[in-house]
Amino acid sequence: MVLTNLDYFFTTFFKAHRCKIIHKEKGLIKVQLTKELDRELMNRPFYWHYMEKMGQKGEPMKLTFITDPNHPNQQSGEWVHFGSPRLQQIINHLKKNEIFAKLYQYVSSHVETPLYPWLVINIKIIYQGKQTREELFSIGLNLINGLMRTNMMESIHDLSFQRSVPDFCFPLSPLIRLKSGYRRIENVLKQYIYDQDQTWVEETLATGKHELALLQHFYESRDDENEALYQKEVSDIKNRYQPKIIVQVINGGLFYLTDSYQN
Amino acid sequence: MNELDIVFEKNFIQQLEERVINDLPTSSWDLFKMTYDIQKSTLIHTSDDLLAIDYLPHLTCLPHQLNTAKQVVMQMNGCAILADEVGLGKTIEAGLILKEYMIRGLVKKVLILVPASLVNQWIDELVNKFYIPAVAYRKGYSWKHVDIMVASLDTAKRAPHCSEIHNINYDLIIIDEAHKLKNHQTKNYQFVKGIKKKYCLLLTATPIQNHLSEIFNLISILKPGHLGNYKAFIEKYVKAVPSIEDNHYLKELINKVMIRHTRKDTNIKPSKRHIKTIWVDFSKEEETYYKQLEYELGNKVPFLKLTLLREICSSREACYMSLKKLSNNSDHPVEDLHSFIDGLEKLPQHAKARKVIEIIKKIGNEKVIIFTEYHATQYFLQWYLQQHGISSVPYRGGFSRSKKEWMRQLFQHDRQVLIATEAGGEGINLQFCHYMINYDLPWNPMRLEQRIGRIHRYGQKKDVYIYNLATKQTIEEHIMNILYKKLNLFERVIGELDDILSKLLITDLESEIQAIFHKSTSTGEAKVKLNHLTSIIQENIELYEEMGETNGTNKP
Repeated sequence: MVLTNLDYFFTTFFKAHRCKIIHKEKGLIKVQLTKELDRELMNRPFYWHYMEKMGQKGEPMKLTFITDPNHPNQQSGEWVHFGSPRLQQIINHLKKNEIFAKLYQYVSSHVETPLYPWLVINIKIIYQGKQTREELFSIGLNLINGLMRTNMMESIHDLSFQRSVPDFCFPLSPLIRLKSGYRRIENVLKQYIYDQDQTWVEETLATGKHELALLQHFYESRDDENEALYQKEVSDIKNRYQPKIIVQVINGGLFYLTDSYQN
Repeated sequence: MNELDIVFEKNFIQQLEERVINDLPTSSWDLFKMTYDIQKSTLIHTSDDLLAIDYLPHLTCLPHQLNTAKQVVMQMNGCAILADEVGLGKTIEAGLILKEYMIRGLVKKVLILVPASLVNQWIDELVNKFYIPAVAYRKGYSWKHVDIMVASLDTAKRAPHCSEIHNINYDLIIIDEAHKLKNHQTKNYQFVKGIKKKYCLLLTATPIQNHLSEIFNLISILKPGHLGNYKAFIEKYVKAVPSIEDNHYLKELINKVMIRHTRKDTNIKPSKRHIKTIWVDFSKEEETYYKQLEYELGNKVPFLKLTLLREICSSREACYMSLKKLSNNSDHPVEDLHSFIDGLEKLPQHAKARKVIEIIKKIGNEKVIIFTEYHATQYFLQWYLQQHGISSVPYRGGFSRSKKEWMRQLFQHDRQVLIATEAGGEGINLQFCHYMINYDLPWNPMRLEQRIGRIHRYGQKKDVYIYNLATKQTIEEHIMNILYKKLNLFERVIGELDDILSKLLITDLESEIQAIFHKSTSTGEAKVKLNHLTSIIQENIELYEEMGETNGTNKP
């Protein structure tokens, strides 16, 4: 799992943002931020505003992360751990920014190689009832022949991709438009949701009713004084026990893959 | 499916198309993949374990702790009273919940209010067990800028902290020893009620000590309005005897916000408690003096009689303080008071104190905690132990946090005995010690539970030995025999009684007993009444046990 190895996580994140890793040892990483990342993470808009006004370049900060709480130099840096605000900030940054992709499978080839377009959608279904449950789907749709497959990310996880067309490769034009491809995926998911066991919906509604009835016993005599409280409780209960499903795209994009991905 | 909302993402594909067509910047494979992996690993599954478990591989939690944390996060929406019996690890539960919310990205700003003596211990557990960067409040720290602050309630409620804290939107507040908030008229209560929060955990081993209104007040902090308003609640549940049906609703509602485990539910095989009653005989002189107090002076100052009798059973010094106070009060001169004070001075060394030396010598080199109800006795014992070559440290509620911590450390590394007063009983964890002497017994059994909980709690690996001292032919004998022995308080796992009392809604036990002694004209009468009281409790206990068997709902 990506988050169990924080050293790897930070290295990858900062390298991908073209930050220089100044120093690295087990449990400690020191990076030189770029100006862009400094603006995103360090929360010092006045500094940058001032630098711009003065026509100066400004100096992005260096950050030292301690990933091992027992590291001997733990005072020299910022202790990051699962659930720490910094990690959360970076995760939120990822979630906000890494949504769209257009990537070509890297192929080292000397002969002309066709690349097939796939629409890859990573989608989260959130079931909000008495309890919240989430499901994640990674669905790929071949935009030439309409083949659909699940666990798409898992199956391409170890491949390399780049943002430009590799030498000797030629991407094929999609026959299915992105929007209609997306609709196909959406329909499959809809069907999937409808086909599911819906007892949780009934359970949630029943619990809501039960809680409302229970609340009544404590508000048998309602007066002006407690009417507002009562209404608030009622609407809280109603909101909490209104079953709801949210289908949320995490990220996705247009992927060009070699022929071997047809099957 | 009519009642079900399904909300589909609308904008994504439009935006993707625009980017593709116009060749706008898109993600690199590494970051794209990383984002997917993070989403995948922080997914919420109902059936699965908490996410936090994956991140705390070094921590072994007990099943009931995991269940509590799961239940609070998944079913109770982060607002709960964690009411496990003393020593079952409420701190672990709170830590797990906090960690879980932090990993889910739902909690960032946290305030943890605990007794001053526990601040360091909380920090230690959060940092070392949960890798949560909690910070102890120190002078000059900014409430606004520290994300996870641990402070004592007493510090936090003072100006200017109070208003600073009230201006902050907290994601989570945790309050340890939350029974301090049972009275809604106190400053503590008003202060906590005024904190803006999304989630809230109240930790207490004794959610109801005396009065049902206490639970109302605790729940009102978590969910204002959940139990209607105070007036109506008091009318229905406290003043009147609630109907069985009403009681059922109440229980159900309480169970929605409170989780309680007893040792019995958790199947933990804790180390054993060996409890021994030690009877002490007064010397002839002490006995005579006691009788004089009871029949002569006691009748002149009836409101003080009980206090004086309890005090003389503890130490001459404790009794002296009260007599002295009485003699300084010139509004109500009491005849012959001076002869009593003189008499006190002539008494021999206290019989109980001699017994204590005996016990400690027998225990040998082990650490011992002595609990007393009186400061004066505490001073006296310190001196008395010193005379017998036994080193000791005092401990009481009024000490500052650092002094408490210092005393604890002195005790752990340097001294043999810690002498604590009641106020010092809360919070402090003294598991390295396995012997406890209750020099005088509290009249509220819950307080005894808290005392024992200092050394006999989750994590204690050795057996613990508790010695309860009581003087024969005195008020202590009645209390010991009737309250503690007849109710089997010692043989029961103590938390059980607490559980029973709170479920039976038995009101203030201590004041009940006091009233009996006050209103009775003779010891005989008091004895009969006490017997009566304990019989009622006993019946209730039996009833409760039957109920528990038939409907199996005695577990919240």
